[in-house]
Amino acid sequence: MSQEPQGVPLVTLTIDGRSVTVPQGTVVWQAAQQAGIEIPIYCYHPKMPPLGACRMCFVEVEPMSPPVAKPPQTACTTEVREGMVVHTDTPLVQKSRKGTLEFLLINHPLDCPICDKGGECDLQDFTLRYGPGASRFNAQKRHFQKPIPVSENILLDRERCIACQRCVRFTQEIAQDPGLILLQRGFRTEVGVDPGAPFDSIFSGNVVEMCPVGALTAKSYRFISRPWELKRTPSICTNCAVGCNARIDVRVDRILRLMSRTNDAIDDGWLCDRGRWGYAAVNDPARLRVPLVRRNGTLQETTWDDALDTVARRFREIAKQHGAQAVGGIGSTHTTNEENYLFQKLLREGLGTPNIDHHHGVFPPASQGALPWAFTGTIAGIDRTQEIVLLGADPYERQPVLDLRLKKALRNGAHLTVIDADPSRIERLAGRVIRIKPGTESAVARTLTQVVLAENLARGDMAARVTDEYRARFKQFTPERMAEALGIDADAVRSLARALASADGAVILYDEATTRQSGNETLAADAFELALLTDHVTRLHSGVGPLWEDANALGARDMGVLPDVGPGYQPVQSPGLAYEAMLAGGVRALWVMGANPARHVDPAVLDALDFLVVQEMAMTETAKRADVVLPALSYAEKIGTMTNLERCVQALRRALVPLPGAKADWEILRGVATRLGLPWSYRSPADVLSEIAASVPLYAGLTRATIGDQGQRWSFADALEPATIR
Amino acid sequence: MAEQMRVVTKDIDVPGIDTLAVYEQHGGYQALRQALGMEPAAIIDEVKASGLRGRGGAGFPTGMKWSFLAKGSPKPTYLCCNADESEPGTFKDRMLMEKLPHRLVEGVLISAYATGTKQAFIYIRGELLYAAQQVSRAVAEAYAAGYAGKNIMGSGRDIDVLVHRGAGAYICGEETALLESLEGKRGYPRLKPPFPAVAGLYGGPTVINNCETLSTVPMIIANGGAWYASIGTEKSKGTRIFCLSGHVNRPGNYELPIGTTFRTVVEEFGGGVPGGKQVKAFIPGGSSTPMLPAEKLDISADYEAVAAAGSMFGAAGVIVLDEDTCIVGAVLRMTEFYRDESCGKCTPCREGTFWLVQLLERLEAGHGRPEDVALLLDICDNIAGKSFCPLGDAATSPIVSSIRLFRDEYIAHATGGGCPFKQRALAGAGSH
Repeated sequence: MSQEPQGVPLVTLTIDGRSVTVPQGTVVWQAAQQAGIEIPIYCYHPKMPPLGACRMCFVEVEPMSPPVAKPPQTACTTEVREGMVVHTDTPLVQKSRKGTLEFLLINHPLDCPICDKGGECDLQDFTLRYGPGASRFNAQKRHFQKPIPVSENILLDRERCIACQRCVRFTQEIAQDPGLILLQRGFRTEVGVDPGAPFDSIFSGNVVEMCPVGALTAKSYRFISRPWELKRTPSICTNCAVGCNARIDVRVDRILRLMSRTNDAIDDGWLCDRGRWGYAAVNDPARLRVPLVRRNGTLQETTWDDALDTVARRFREIAKQHGAQAVGGIGSTHTTNEENYLFQKLLREGLGTPNIDHHHGVFPPASQGALPWAFTGTIAGIDRTQEIVLLGADPYERQPVLDLRLKKALRNGAHLTVIDADPSRIERLAGRVIRIKPGTESAVARTLTQVVLAENLARGDMAARVTDEYRARFKQFTPERMAEALGIDADAVRSLARALASADGAVILYDEATTRQSGNETLAADAFELALLTDHVTRLHSGVGPLWEDANALGARDMGVLPDVGPGYQPVQSPGLAYEAMLAGGVRALWVMGANPARHVDPAVLDALDFLVVQEMAMTETAKRADVVLPALSYAEKIGTMTNLERCVQALRRALVPLPGAKADWEILRGVATRLGLPWSYRSPADVLSEIAASVPLYAGLTRATIGDQGQRWSFADALEPATIR
Repeated sequence: MAEQMRVVTKDIDVPGIDTLAVYEQHGGYQALRQALGMEPAAIIDEVKASGLRGRGGAGFPTGMKWSFLAKGSPKPTYLCCNADESEPGTFKDRMLMEKLPHRLVEGVLISAYATGTKQAFIYIRGELLYAAQQVSRAVAEAYAAGYAGKNIMGSGRDIDVLVHRGAGAYICGEETALLESLEGKRGYPRLKPPFPAVAGLYGGPTVINNCETLSTVPMIIANGGAWYASIGTEKSKGTRIFCLSGHVNRPGNYELPIGTTFRTVVEEFGGGVPGGKQVKAFIPGGSSTPMLPAEKLDISADYEAVAAAGSMFGAAGVIVLDEDTCIVGAVLRMTEFYRDESCGKCTPCREGTFWLVQLLERLEAGHGRPEDVALLLDICDNIAGKSFCPLGDAATSPIVSSIRLFRDEYIAHATGGGCPFKQRALAGAGSH
């Protein structure tokens, strides 16, 4: 889904006799890549500007005229020209590459047999393919103490380093965090950290992945496996709502590491440390393996049949005795779309209750029609936006890889405004920082809207629909009054409003959690309205919406795990109880799938329930209070789909053999459904997806094939009527 | 003794010429006054007419360089004086800065005016503390006298001059590394294109000229481009300051018309080799230029003749090696310099120089093998033309040129158990 710049002329050149057509400005290396010709590289990285340092990617370019023999060129720094003739395998190229490899090897230890990189090392591989068969170096190699820590999680073996600078450039140019630097000079060059500024970046793990040799290694993976022992499964990271594409590398029964599986539209090739190293819960030996049923006040191990029978029986009893209204279910922002879909279906059709919800931010009722909770832009579109507004959002801490996207946009010339009660890291890159009191994001959004209205800056379809009555609703939100009331800078607010109203592209982002702060109950609608009036809802490189916390927060909503709407936001006849109401004594029996409400309410409320069933991987605070605990599988052990914060539906793939004794949530639901007499014949989540695709308009036509490796985004065009101002 | 031709170094021996008052008494800043009355384009034409070529080493025509400056850039234009004189065998810029700092400042101001620059920088090699103090003082005096700063000499033009001391890196004499260093970054050469004339310092169009080059500009303005062009050879105009060092009786800086023979430089001005010894070889332009045999002393010291002889005029750092010089030892010393000064950005230069030093050390110490000579040449072949910047090529030039001239001496090191000169010296010492 890479977005090629529009209107760039194309250039046709010949590489090894193959004709290649690429946009002007492309470097020869990329053109060769497109033609399927390998040119070895170390310093070059497609996500960073050319450096030309390693001198590995030599090619020969035929002289135009007059025919003068020229030294070999580096493919990573040479831009294509019309009619260029490139050779990648001439004697000169071979000798030049051999020369570079020999130089790299003179100071490289031959510790491949114990090096973690052995088997997937670019130095090893390129030496095999392009290097000298024997070494002529019989002098003294450089030695260093090994290894030294460069951060809590990463170790550096300096003698293995080939000084390609990928790691240094990543921390300095991409992450822009305190990171790795080069120390010393010449042959004494080494990677290190500034003693005054330790390597402090949530993106640190990327340097390990980028390192072409075994110089930078993750503590978590050091000396624990050989690469050829790993089973590699393309899947997604489920640590947050960004949905970075990841490859899950497992050996036998454990996840050993997550590697990036570049998806330019979502992660741009990066993972954050939280996602990369956040698999401990999957490997945890304390995971639940046997169903538990409470007998005589204690949870006791039992069989799956007994546990599922108990769940079906008790729910039926309570519904019969107290009515279906006495039963409720709390779905999950961590499980798949298919499982959430089945969850609400089971509760609605099997138990007849409308009490279905999950833990989420505060948004207008879904039944109102608009979908302000779905980011209207795309992550990739942020690359080329002009104005970024973080309205109570801190992606570095909460949706980290999105922070890199914002920095990319800033490098492309975007302008950032941070409106927040607390300081954040990205503020130092912001043009405007508006410090506010907690819970006043909503008021700031309305103030911005007031400026747009008062200065007649509204544009787009909505401009004509602004009535006097509508205008009057914002009358009190003048920058001056708000400056006084909220202690903010009126000029900053005014200039931001003007910038938004004139920008070609703008994204307005707020964190889901910000909507839960007292005072911000209408934040989602306020932000959406601001974007509508400044025409940033559907404009290219624009968008407005929340940044969710959990991987499938949007998917849970899409699947109708909400009290007032079913899958695809189709209104239900009689709305049920919301999350808070269910947990405030509104139900007698509660079914919790992959959630931990004990974090949000007084656990005593859970103790007061007649019956509590919990599907969970580990013994959480909620599970401890359950009457039945059903051990669930992790994201790495099942298939299914999740929907990221920008509406992209992506596939989870089974990377790990399922933990014996545990079942996938969808299997558990099917087990109970069957016992309740529902005619469920789903053989796998694929069957459930087919049903979703057939019955949920937003997901119409989705199949595992269309989702593919890089996901498929649902579109507002397939959704409801476009949103309008209130 | 023959006389030098004082153009750039005019009045250099006048007591107090480093002060503004004395410099002014000797016509100082008249060229600036004159220049400010000219159209900038006319100044560039005058410099073009003078045939002045860059004195830093590459010898690029100065006027042409100025006219390459990108026009209409949204970013400001900058002028950088490259006074990071670090090439072994060169010490002319140091003398100019220490003794004639005002001529440099005047040259910088005229050049800045000619190139439409409001901000000029003088980047001085970190080790040259006294030179930096002298230039800084001269800049301060120029500001106080209204030659620099706002509305210079009532012309309505503002030109600021900032003196910056390097931190001690040969690579920062490479113009793009100098820009990186000036911006506060690590001194690494930049990828070209874009060339500095298009996007240089802070992304603005930038002209970078050597200290001697800029110090010549006031003389060209004062006396005319045609006058300057009348000095020198047909293609290499003007004078050069020859930095004469090595085995000569009177090492030092000698300003002479281009086209003087190296023999004149060495014998008439340098007073020949001490002890009446023979010249074994000489390096014409600083340690990075290929060594030439003694018989080439008779060639004309100009860009074309030196190139035809297989070397480069470079920065006119003439290093003389007498008959008792161990070539391997001398080349080892030079190669150590390039190993230590390699910035380390690119593989061939970083690793190659490290390896070359080890091989040369081994030969010198008597642990070498005859096949090491071929290996040295092949390593040089893998560095030259394969490195990121010219430093890599420079590092190979002493080795390749000396093996071409003195291969037997290398072989003798390998077969004779080490350096024959050291052995001879030891034997000589033993006999007393």
